[in-house]
Amino acid sequence: MIAFVSGGARSGKSAQAEALAMRWHRARGGRLYYLATARATDGEMIRRISRHRETRGSGWTTLEEPVDLMAALDQVVPGSTLLLDCLTLWASQVLYGSGLDERQGLAMIDTMLSRARARNIALVVVSNDVNEEVPPRDAEVRRYLAFLQRLHRRVAHEAELAIQVVAGLPMYWKGSGKEGEAQ
Amino acid sequence: MQLFIGGAYAGKRAAVRQRFDSPRWHSAYDGKSLDAWRSAVEEGRSLVLEGWELWLEAELACEPDNDRIRSRMCDELEAIRALEDALGPRIVLIMLEMGRGIVPMDADDRRLRDLAGWLAQDAATHCEQVWYVWHGLARPLA
Repeated sequence: MIAFVSGGARSGKSAQAEALAMRWHRARGGRLYYLATARATDGEMIRRISRHRETRGSGWTTLEEPVDLMAALDQVVPGSTLLLDCLTLWASQVLYGSGLDERQGLAMIDTMLSRARARNIALVVVSNDVNEEVPPRDAEVRRYLAFLQRLHRRVAHEAELAIQVVAGLPMYWKGSGKEGEAQ
Repeated sequence: MQLFIGGAYAGKRAAVRQRFDSPRWHSAYDGKSLDAWRSAVEEGRSLVLEGWELWLEAELACEPDNDRIRSRMCDELEAIRALEDALGPRIVLIMLEMGRGIVPMDADDRRLRDLAGWLAQDAATHCEQVWYVWHGLARPLA
């Protein structure tokens, strides 16, 4: 089971994604993981990370991995539920903080999605809607945007559940939110 | 007439291709001007018109008055709609959503953003179906 959750800044994406992951976890058993792609590089990031961690509460096993999603996935017990937060940061770290290019980044996402299914790991992927403003003039920013959107389209295509979050409320593009609960 | 609107790289073209069988494309990205759409019409075959933000930019460069650009675009939309009614090819408009960010610093970007928003509203009034495309998924708007 795969879910894609996206929306604007401070729209309540993480809270929606966490609630969904907890529902899936209750229905499925196994363990509940939080995969943080954020690097605690400065004071602002450290505060954001600790705020997210406090609101999540107990019961979560936190993994931290800025680039190598397979290394993180290998630590997850089969049958568990994993929340990946977020794809936006991961995409920038792939392009600017690793030796990987777009093709390799996309291949990593494909492998993660198929490996999660093969190991019966329910996956919730969080990202940001950043493509509905005046297109950036800067070629490098456009390259990043094009890469991020390829990732979004791929994950949304694979997902059984796709949710756009507006003002903390879910808008269902795919599925109804009941997936994975009655087993 | 149908309108597909969504952000940059949202998957708008693929959404059109899923719903229309081998349409003709009249695209500003191929250097086509808006005026030339008439020569792209082929009876019995659907026609996609895309790259409206480039056509707006071309207007911006030579016309300082936003209202005049808006009304010229409205005339064009009406002509396109009239042709569809008369000849029957299904016409698809693809437009870029660009109004959901911070107000641009650059004055030309602000003009473009305003005109693109008005154009989308005007186009929607001429369409019997409007689709919002989000990360490769499409949903009809009322």
